[in-house]
Amino acid sequence: MNPELYACVRAAEFPSQALLRLRPDLQSLPIAVLDGRPPLEQVCSMNRHASRLGAVEGMTRLEAESLIPQDAVPDQALRLLSRSLEGEAAARAVMLECASTFSPRIEQASNGIDCAIVLDIGGTDRLFGPPRALAERLRSALAAAGFRVSIAVSANFHVAHILAAASRGITIIPAGEEAQALAGLPLSLLDMHPDHAETLTIWGIRTLGELATLPQIDMIARLGQPASVLHNLALGVHPHIFQPKEAAFELREFCEFETPVEQVDSLLFVGARMIDSLVQRAATRAMSLASLDVDLALEGGKTHQLKIRPALPSIDRKFLLKLLQLEIATKPPSAAILSLALSAEVGQSSKVQLGLFTPQTPEPSRLDVTIARLKAIAGEDRVGSPVLEDTHHAGTFHVADFKVHDSPASESTSQPRMALRRLRPPLNVRMVLNAGQPALFFDGRQSYRVTTCFGPWRSNGCWWSAAGWDNDEWDILAQSKDSASLLCLLVMDRTNSEWRIEAWYD
Amino acid sequence: MTEADSYVELHCASAFSFLEAGSQPEALIERAAELGMGALALADRNGLYGAARFHTAGVRLGVRPLIGSEISVCSFGNMLTPQAWLPHQHPHQPPRLLLLCASQVGYQNLCQLITRFKMREATKVEGAATLEDIQEFSAGLICLTGGDEGPLAVAMAREGSNAARKILDRLTAIFGSSNLYIELQRHCRRDQECRNQTLLTLAAKLRLPVIATNGVRYSTQDDRELFDVLTSIRNHTTLDKAGRLLVSSAARLLRPAREMAALFRDIPEAIVNTSIVSQRLAFTLSNLGYEFPHYPVPAGETMDSFLAQRVDEGVRKRYGSPAKRHLLEKAKTQVQRELKLIEKLGFAGYFLIVWDLIRFSQQHGILVQGRGSAANSAVCYALEITAVDPVGMELLFERFLSESRGEWPDIDLDLPSGDEREKVIQYCYDHYGALGAAMTANVITYRGRSAAREVGKALGFEEETITRLSSLVSRWEWRGDNDTMARHFDQAGFDIRHPQITRYLDLCMRLQDMPRHLGQHSGGMVICAGMLNRVVPIERASMPGRTVVQWDKEDCADLGIIKVDLLGLGMMAVLKECIELIPRHYKKEVDLAALPEDPVVYETLRKADTVGMFQVESRAQMASIPHNAPTKFYDLVVQVAIIRPGPIVGKMMHPYMNRRQGKEEITYPHPSLEPVLKRTLGVPLFQEQLLRMAMTVANFTGAEAEELRRAVGMRRSMQRMQNLEGRLREGMTRNGISPEAQDNIVQGISSFAMYGFPESHAASFALIAYASAYLKVHYLAAFTCAILNNQPMGFYSSAVLIKDAQRHGLRVRPIDVQHSQCLCTLEHESDFAFSLRLGFNYARGLHRATADKLVRARRADGAFRSLHDMSSRVPDLNRKDMVSLARIGALNSIGDVEHRRDALWQVEEAARASGPLLRSTDSTHEKPRSKTPLRKMNDEERLTADYAGTGVTTGPHPMAYHRASLRADGIRSASELEHGNNHQPISIAGCVIARQRPGTAKGFVFLSLEDETGIANVIITPGIFEANRLVVTRSRILRIDGQLQHQEGVVHVKAKQIIPLDIVQADVGSHDFH
Repeated sequence: MNPELYACVRAAEFPSQALLRLRPDLQSLPIAVLDGRPPLEQVCSMNRHASRLGAVEGMTRLEAESLIPQDAVPDQALRLLSRSLEGEAAARAVMLECASTFSPRIEQASNGIDCAIVLDIGGTDRLFGPPRALAERLRSALAAAGFRVSIAVSANFHVAHILAAASRGITIIPAGEEAQALAGLPLSLLDMHPDHAETLTIWGIRTLGELATLPQIDMIARLGQPASVLHNLALGVHPHIFQPKEAAFELREFCEFETPVEQVDSLLFVGARMIDSLVQRAATRAMSLASLDVDLALEGGKTHQLKIRPALPSIDRKFLLKLLQLEIATKPPSAAILSLALSAEVGQSSKVQLGLFTPQTPEPSRLDVTIARLKAIAGEDRVGSPVLEDTHHAGTFHVADFKVHDSPASESTSQPRMALRRLRPPLNVRMVLNAGQPALFFDGRQSYRVTTCFGPWRSNGCWWSAAGWDNDEWDILAQSKDSASLLCLLVMDRTNSEWRIEAWYD
Repeated sequence: MTEADSYVELHCASAFSFLEAGSQPEALIERAAELGMGALALADRNGLYGAARFHTAGVRLGVRPLIGSEISVCSFGNMLTPQAWLPHQHPHQPPRLLLLCASQVGYQNLCQLITRFKMREATKVEGAATLEDIQEFSAGLICLTGGDEGPLAVAMAREGSNAARKILDRLTAIFGSSNLYIELQRHCRRDQECRNQTLLTLAAKLRLPVIATNGVRYSTQDDRELFDVLTSIRNHTTLDKAGRLLVSSAARLLRPAREMAALFRDIPEAIVNTSIVSQRLAFTLSNLGYEFPHYPVPAGETMDSFLAQRVDEGVRKRYGSPAKRHLLEKAKTQVQRELKLIEKLGFAGYFLIVWDLIRFSQQHGILVQGRGSAANSAVCYALEITAVDPVGMELLFERFLSESRGEWPDIDLDLPSGDEREKVIQYCYDHYGALGAAMTANVITYRGRSAAREVGKALGFEEETITRLSSLVSRWEWRGDNDTMARHFDQAGFDIRHPQITRYLDLCMRLQDMPRHLGQHSGGMVICAGMLNRVVPIERASMPGRTVVQWDKEDCADLGIIKVDLLGLGMMAVLKECIELIPRHYKKEVDLAALPEDPVVYETLRKADTVGMFQVESRAQMASIPHNAPTKFYDLVVQVAIIRPGPIVGKMMHPYMNRRQGKEEITYPHPSLEPVLKRTLGVPLFQEQLLRMAMTVANFTGAEAEELRRAVGMRRSMQRMQNLEGRLREGMTRNGISPEAQDNIVQGISSFAMYGFPESHAASFALIAYASAYLKVHYLAAFTCAILNNQPMGFYSSAVLIKDAQRHGLRVRPIDVQHSQCLCTLEHESDFAFSLRLGFNYARGLHRATADKLVRARRADGAFRSLHDMSSRVPDLNRKDMVSLARIGALNSIGDVEHRRDALWQVEEAARASGPLLRSTDSTHEKPRSKTPLRKMNDEERLTADYAGTGVTTGPHPMAYHRASLRADGIRSASELEHGNNHQPISIAGCVIARQRPGTAKGFVFLSLEDETGIANVIITPGIFEANRLVVTRSRILRIDGQLQHQEGVVHVKAKQIIPLDIVQADVGSHDFH
């Protein structure tokens, strides 16, 4: 059996590294990365050039901007970039991929904003030479991929992890010298419970070396079993059960086209094979596809994303392909397609329990296809169940996913009620007023004389946001020249002084 | 009738409906005045909270202020909410009826009604009346049925017009058809109009009158935004999520009569009825019906005769001693004069009530002393209400009570803060009944920080952002031109041009000063032997056992309601504790009423060695007291009075100090004024002197002179002032005073009347100041012990007080579980000196109950033998407590504990003791222990632990450890400054113990830096402060390079450069004054 040997790779200031990795032109400039929603963004990461200029974590955008002198040479001034979590995920994947060429056994060990992974490199000396040689090759490979990393190699997993955070470049700890290597490092490098950290601080323990000198049994008597772990960590002897990051069960297929694809049929031809593959992989684990994310890379650098979520998880290839086809028809891409990526989430294959007295409902997959067809015709946000909003703004609603409710229908009232039929979009009209009241209007085809009107019914709100409104509503009975009568709801938008018919009364 | 007169708004809520309306009462009145509305009715939710301010503003602007209230009635179910199929978040609350006071009886009934349902609750809650309550107190009230918030709206929405009719029948039975009006509101809403049509039909059927109102919630349309923010705050949500909780339009503003007439053009009688009802509402707060309190006297006595007897007894007691016998006749004459006036004004009951409180305090050993202008009264002195002898000091009674003033006497009593004050308050409740006494309210309003927080929440900001934004709001008293919220935001890195931040700032500004809720005043007590609940509604306070009236002290004063201020004064508690400690430890008795005039005490005062002394310990006092150089009690009276914003702004301080030091000749505006101004070297300082000046030069009576003082004080009464000035000049002419001298005198009176200070008040405070100085000088250990046990109080933190006492030779011992008590105590050293032992009250985080048990366990079974012994004998001591005690060295004297870390090492084991079964085995068979592997704390660590665990250190001052290196850097100590030369460049360093930016100092900042030798004073100019704002406001230890200013024993360093020093990790806190 090969002796244990671990190499920890740590990329500090990962958000900025992830952004700069693909932008070599920016790497020599001071860069700070902002996180949070405007106007409340804060600096979360920076490169060393920015650090030298005075940028620190937690600065607001304005504070960071104040570090840019007005007469600064543009190339030397601090540049502020927004954090990209997607970019970081991609960068992390690249880092893992790069590291996996040196060892198939990799464990993620990130905390905070840094990215750290530990490679089990036991027995790799025949492939890559001694540990230092491996570390140098690894570091070069990661540098080529755009990462600046520190690497620590030790026979103890935790020692490698701690030293990678505490040192720069490459550090190789010979077996048996772990405690010595750790002795001078601050206690804060240990990931411990705040209570223990406080106790050790008031005990006057500042370094791992000082912690290591405490009698272990007495420590356990005082701090409990965690003390044993801390003590062993400080001595560099704490064992670790390696949990390699196996290639996660990820249902993802990707295809890059040699030439941009413009025909949907061509796309679906490939898509069908990809779905086949996904379904087959899911089926081998007795799973179904609960959702399908479609990422299309388009010419011009844009991406087009779609999501397919059947009502029930399914492994019906034709059904899923039909949904994909309808989804693409609903939201066609704006340019030719360079690549297609499908990633699926799995769910349990489902069976619907029918009841004796439950009313007959459509088969879920057929209902899904029908709704998808409707969405393709009417639009994504126009099919489903309407849900009223909690607002005074008349007619405001959103469309939620369609659901079949088995609750009894609301009691019908004996009195006939007037129904309001909203026009979406409303019909603009030209209005002539008489003594401040609607008198005559023209809807583009004919004019109407107002015979009776009630109003104004005033409503305004959301003054604190761009969604504000300020409307006067009038209930109007009008007649055209040919004696056709019209009973409608007219609205005057007081912000823009526009009149429009918003609804008919039935 | 003009158009404006044709409509009167009768349904109007102010911000005193607490988060349910968006305008102050004054704003509503001002808007009504702008609209030419002759009257306006205020009806806040379940109370008359805003009525006093509304009334005062109405009288001032000529709008007749009508009073009413929206009363919640639980008998009608819940208030109208949107229909169930509409998403909404409306809480359930009872509907409200609008009740308006038609007569004084109606007002009294309304007060009683509100008090009834408020007091029915066990705690401070909104409460609601029942229909039975309404019926009982319906006389003299006119009822309007309300709009959306009313019972008819909900009845019709749920059960149709029949249900509304039933309610109308019930209300008609209660109020009668002539006092019930069906209320119609038009806010341009379909549902409301539909309801209005049904109501009109019902009104016709039932022959009830209809009336138009606008259900006003804010004065102008702009205030709707604030109203929406308040709605969000009230419902604990954000504006984005509030939905239908917000109003659907900005219609509930105070509309002009023309607009209301147009809205109700189809129902003209609804408009006409507003005018009719307003004329029927004959009651305003001008005829409140408040009667002076009565004091129960024995049969055959009147209150006046009873008072005269008590005063006579008091005069004999006060002036019977040989030292004062020469004043006896003069005193008798004075009290006769005062009693005559008291009888004439009918105030005997008030004096007897206060006398009763004094008597109760004395009987229960509670130290009490009157302050303020009451000290001008020989009657108050005789009744032992005050301690200053007005006859001996020739104080002027008219400043306290004057026939022409038409104002109630105002007596403030200082009591030891804490339990003893509470005893006196509870005595009032017990003696005068729950409906006969109550505290005055304190309206809690939104201030900078709270406004910033609440608006941030309403706009949906995240908690972290809100904390950051609200922390930017300045707390300094002084605010320069640049000291705006906008600038602070800009400095902190927020983009003030961003629309969201701009709106946030705007709303923060508008929310400031809006009422938030009702608290209780710190001491104002209204006593009305009888039915106080007929004068003003009473409700429960948050504090158990307390009730409050719905008005604050200014409102009570404006409406002539008498109160007694029962104020908690920390120094009174210190004095009380001193006079208990001194006999016990020094074997001497101290009579605070007969302290000798001691030259040593005055010498200490002259040296400004006044840390901890009442009223003379502040930076400004220390800077001026050497100039004043007090040698007798009256000098102290002047010293207490002169360092006030008034005398400083009135430019009286410098002339007095110059004359005191002989730098300026003592002159008088006229030779006849020499007797009046001689005591203050020709500079008028006290309000009593103004009165005497007018009496001397122009033969004014005392009452006329007091009227003159008040007229000058109130600049608005120009006409009145001109008349009085004319009479003053006539009098002076009759007395042969030249026109030039007359100008001089008039000018003198005008310039200081605004800022003068009552001599009697200064004398009362000077008595306490002298007592504190005397006790500190002669009984330092007892004084320090008492002041440490009564923190927080005064200008300095406990850490500073301890260091000051140590510099004066007092040994201060740290907290020790083998010796400390719950409070700080005195111990006797082997050399017969005293030392001060810190009590467990300084061990942060240790509960009082645990400390009690620890002390009891020690008393019962002797000293603790080991930490195991302690933890088994005091099971309440948990691990955290023991760690805290070990960290501050309180366990060092137990058994074999060698040092703090040794204790910490042992504590962790002792705290994980065996379970109950084996505990006895553990304690009887303690295991031998190995030596601790932890090293001793070093000085820095000990200091940090001391400050973190107790806030103080009994060891060397933090700066002492660094003295050698500081000296090597050319930094002087505080004690070396007095040997330096004026204008000499100098560097000092120390812990910042106080920062001050007073409103009178034009942006200058004053710092006090403490080192092991004393306190150094630093002056920072506004320019230097702006350049070093963060360093000055946040750094704990500073190095100041600057210039020494040395004038007559007062030493300052004028800062040129300010450098933060990071040499001490301990959290040495400062007191910041704003």
